[in-house]
Amino acid sequence: MTDTLGRLHAAFADAGVTGRLHALDIDSGAQVDFGADRSVCTASVHKLCLLVTLHRQAAEGRLDLTEQIECPPDGRTPGPTGLAAMLDTVRMSLRDIAYLMMTVSDNAAADLLLDRVGLDTVNRTTARLGLSRTHAAHTFGELLATIKEDAGPHGARALTDPHVLTRLRALDPDRSNRSTPRDMTRLLGAVWRDEACVPEHGEAIRRLLGLQVWPHRLASGFPFDDVHVAGKTGTLPTVRNEVGVVEYPDGGRYAVAVFTRTANPAATLPAADAVIGTAARIAVDALRAP
Amino acid sequence: MDLVRHLECFVAVAEEQHFGRAAARLGMAQPPLSQRIQRLERELGVRLFERSSRHVTITKAGTLLLTEARELLLRSESLLATARRIRDGESGLLRAALPPDVSGETVAALLARFRRGHPGLELELHELPTAEQLARFATHELDVGLIHHPCDITGLELGPVLRRELGVLLPRDAPSAGRPAIPLPALSDHDLILFPRANAPALYDELLTTCARNGYTPAAVRHGQGASFVRGLVLSTGAVAFGPRDDRPADRPTRDAHGHDEPDVVWRPIAGAPLAWRHSVAWPRGRGDAAVEAFARAATDALRTAAGATPDVPTRPLHLRPASEFWL
Repeated sequence: MTDTLGRLHAAFADAGVTGRLHALDIDSGAQVDFGADRSVCTASVHKLCLLVTLHRQAAEGRLDLTEQIECPPDGRTPGPTGLAAMLDTVRMSLRDIAYLMMTVSDNAAADLLLDRVGLDTVNRTTARLGLSRTHAAHTFGELLATIKEDAGPHGARALTDPHVLTRLRALDPDRSNRSTPRDMTRLLGAVWRDEACVPEHGEAIRRLLGLQVWPHRLASGFPFDDVHVAGKTGTLPTVRNEVGVVEYPDGGRYAVAVFTRTANPAATLPAADAVIGTAARIAVDALRAP
Repeated sequence: MDLVRHLECFVAVAEEQHFGRAAARLGMAQPPLSQRIQRLERELGVRLFERSSRHVTITKAGTLLLTEARELLLRSESLLATARRIRDGESGLLRAALPPDVSGETVAALLARFRRGHPGLELELHELPTAEQLARFATHELDVGLIHHPCDITGLELGPVLRRELGVLLPRDAPSAGRPAIPLPALSDHDLILFPRANAPALYDELLTTCARNGYTPAAVRHGQGASFVRGLVLSTGAVAFGPRDDRPADRPTRDAHGHDEPDVVWRPIAGAPLAWRHSVAWPRGRGDAAVEAFARAATDALRTAAGATPDVPTRPLHLRPASEFWL
């Protein structure tokens, strides 16, 4: 295990990031702990908590996932994908909105669902699932608004200024949406064991996590056609995260949560994205070693 | 009740979620730790943890108090550090660090300024690379330092960010050495000499990315850092290296025993000044005091005057791509 921790340390350092990781064998409970209890900013990883909440609400009969919602373009939460980037009114079911939220991290979709279930319900759900260090302080629109406000008049280009970065509330776990790597693998383990939701809803959640389009983080560490990777990313200036489950054809299934902060504030850093996959592979290989 | 000590116990148990691990981290046995938590719960009139035979989970009330407990601990550390310094008037000790690439003139200017302003304050100055400074901030072994950007600035406060323009060191007889300023693409036929990547991976990658963005992708990168070693590589292999203006070698040929000019190394600015070392003074958040501020001012002034450093203002546009997930 010391060797595994040493390799994780070297991989994160080599990519120019500070990394925290927790990996959990979903069936045996064996784990790899590399700063697993550090408080971290979840960013869009929190959409997973929202998705689980939505399905628990549906399972309790509080809402109907096939209900159609009319979403006009005005007042949509900004973002580069999905409804957030579309120009016209869309009519869509709650579960298809959830599909956009999970597969392309659609911020507008996430806030439409948050409007429906409420931030408090999300926090109540994570607390009930025993995620005592997980808390959502903001909607996604509110989170983006704090970045805009803290960045000041120069907009996105100010986000490479170290001074601006030190004052972004969005990057302070105490003032932003937060969790720990261990809380997130606990949530994923519960989803995969059908303990977070009844099997019908658990299956729907697992399907959406498996449809995520991004190949550059967790999935990049497992370039194997017979290995299934399902996950949800999260990104903010200097923050790159992904949590997910890796399943091998022999039945082995591993929940992995990787949260990183890059040294370099640049927006495009392929090595920092890829190390999330590299670190996850180091951890999963350690869990699979006889 | 010693509130600070009890809050330390509370935060440790909250973070470790385990009495045994928290006790090990605090260097104490488990029974007195449990007693302290119970005493704190009585004192506050609030239940902080739910305990079962195997697990300890923080309560909602505990979660609400945790942030404030952390802040209070940070402030108390700051108070103790300041007290340590002012105990005998202003004759405390400030532990500070500079990176190895700061020129001798800059170090001298910094020390002179600091002593003029705070003659009573004892300065313990270390030569440390950025990664080592960050590690010592975390373990409370360093009060303030001059760091290289980019680095992980989580939990730090910063002075102004300054840039020291980098030029290129190349053989005097290289075809482009005659130009007053060298465009980066003109270096295409030369390999590049750079510090070993492990020293500062983010800075290393940023330099190569900026070179590539400006039309210079060296065929090979050789590693070296000592001035003599780098000079030897430049002279013997025709490779080039980068160095700040304030630390450039004297621009004149040396003469051998027979009176012949030896080939030598010259420093030339790079057209458009795309490359720079970026520095700022840094200290752990909440632990800044008068002495730290005095060091920050002295270092910033010394870099501006002795090293010709200028304020760093990000001017390049930043295009967020869809995978960035956020949008302004």
